[in-house]
Amino acid sequence: MEPQTKRWKGLEYDTDSWVVYPVLSDEQSQDVELIEAYAAPILNKKETSRLVRELNSFFPLNGHQHIKRVRACKEKGTPHPLDILVCLTSDAPDMKVVGLNSLLPSDRVKHDGLGEPFLVKIPARPPLTRPQFELASKHWPTSFHEDKQMTVALKGELFSPPEKAAMHMYMRSAVTAAKAAKDRGMEAVGAVVVNPVTEEVIAVGHDCRHDHPLHHAVMVCIDLVARSQGGGCYTFDSHPACQLIPPTSGTHHNEPDAEKSSQPYICTGYDLYVTREPCVMCAMALVHSRIGRVFYGITSADGALGTKFKVHSQKDLNHHFEVYKGILSKQCEGLNASSDRIQSKCLEER
Amino acid sequence: MGGAEESKSASAESFCPSDAEIQKWMGAAFDVAKDALENGEVPVGCLMVYKDEVVAKGRNEVNETKNATRHAELVALDQLRDWCRRNDLDVTHVCKQTALYVTVEPCIMCAAALCLFNIPVVVYGCRNERFGGCGSVLEVSSAHLPQTGTTFKCVSGHRAEEAVEMLKTFYKQENPNAPKPKTRKE
Repeated sequence: MEPQTKRWKGLEYDTDSWVVYPVLSDEQSQDVELIEAYAAPILNKKETSRLVRELNSFFPLNGHQHIKRVRACKEKGTPHPLDILVCLTSDAPDMKVVGLNSLLPSDRVKHDGLGEPFLVKIPARPPLTRPQFELASKHWPTSFHEDKQMTVALKGELFSPPEKAAMHMYMRSAVTAAKAAKDRGMEAVGAVVVNPVTEEVIAVGHDCRHDHPLHHAVMVCIDLVARSQGGGCYTFDSHPACQLIPPTSGTHHNEPDAEKSSQPYICTGYDLYVTREPCVMCAMALVHSRIGRVFYGITSADGALGTKFKVHSQKDLNHHFEVYKGILSKQCEGLNASSDRIQSKCLEER
Repeated sequence: MGGAEESKSASAESFCPSDAEIQKWMGAAFDVAKDALENGEVPVGCLMVYKDEVVAKGRNEVNETKNATRHAELVALDQLRDWCRRNDLDVTHVCKQTALYVTVEPCIMCAAALCLFNIPVVVYGCRNERFGGCGSVLEVSSAHLPQTGTTFKCVSGHRAEEAVEMLKTFYKQENPNAPKPKTRKE
């Protein structure tokens, strides 16, 4: 028994054992969609700027400003160094044979220095992330306004070691609550609501769906937060691990004016830590509650913050929030495994 | 639970309210919504009907509980549980033969809650363009979510214009519980 406890403790303080990744919207995470276009080799480099000018006015790339007009031909051995994008196939006139003459009236765009057109595939939309940009650029040169924070986040490097240590601590409380639920024969899911400004835990809850089918850990926490604001409609007194954490005095008194003018309003500005990805009911409850950010350990089969839906980035909804996953993933994963499996794994690792 | 109970729940798939029932119960749901409007809550009213008996009535209680999840449907689901307890009936069995009548399409959260409770039929008035979970924003009602209960059938459009008008009336008013603008009275 003893060595096992020691081992778990050792793991719990190791913030390098897990990596946080953002859960992006479909637009940010989808593959690069391609559309067809005609390009043509520039046979005489000196004509390039004139060709760009004339083509820009005759075949403007409306709605596709991310596409660069000219690309360098990478392959050595090609007699011409540049290709130019003539137009999207959807903008091209109907023609029996594809050729410069049918594509470009020579009184508008002089054909000097231009070779015969050919089909290419170009990215349909501007890339939103570096991975999308890198994929898009393989097809045709594309401009990219990089969101530096996003690039860092996608590498799992958005949070500093002290920030990770705090996240580690909050998620550990959620894991502890989940274990308490499991010990009582309930679903092993735990959640914690934190005010990131004061760094105070406001509520801790665990899954109580054996009492009530809708009392998932997130719903329990939302009602506990309501209670902290003088509302709430349930009592979780029979579950000691579901609790409101009274605010510590001191931190608030430093700025009495600030405190008075910003009465908390539902979960506005708060962070939620939950051991596994919330279901669609809980995800939407978090939208209604105006949660600030959500951090979860592992994905779930019916999850609605990344797996089945992305409620946090759903178009048409009036509130959106950032979602991160991977926090304390091993410990969260371990909650779902049977206790024998955890034990045998620990023995193996020793 | 006897065999008769079982065979009835098996017929739940064909369970669908008649026009007369819709007329009657939606009328009652509208009365609940009017009550909500008079009490400064979002005017949505619902009731749950089991074997021609109203077992639950709900209206929005978000402002009085400071809990943004207290929508009419979730309030009614709590009442349905209480009713089953008082009558010593199994909640799951009752739910399988219970229809929800609600003035506005359930939101994404409520649609999932209805799946979790295995409610087979939802009759609603107008679409919910802001939050709807039965097709308007997301389609939860018919989604394949094996961990989140069962799908349900929707019957929509009854007195839709009237339901929309009530919502418009509400949103023209100020929400007294929303955070105050920077300038403070007192």
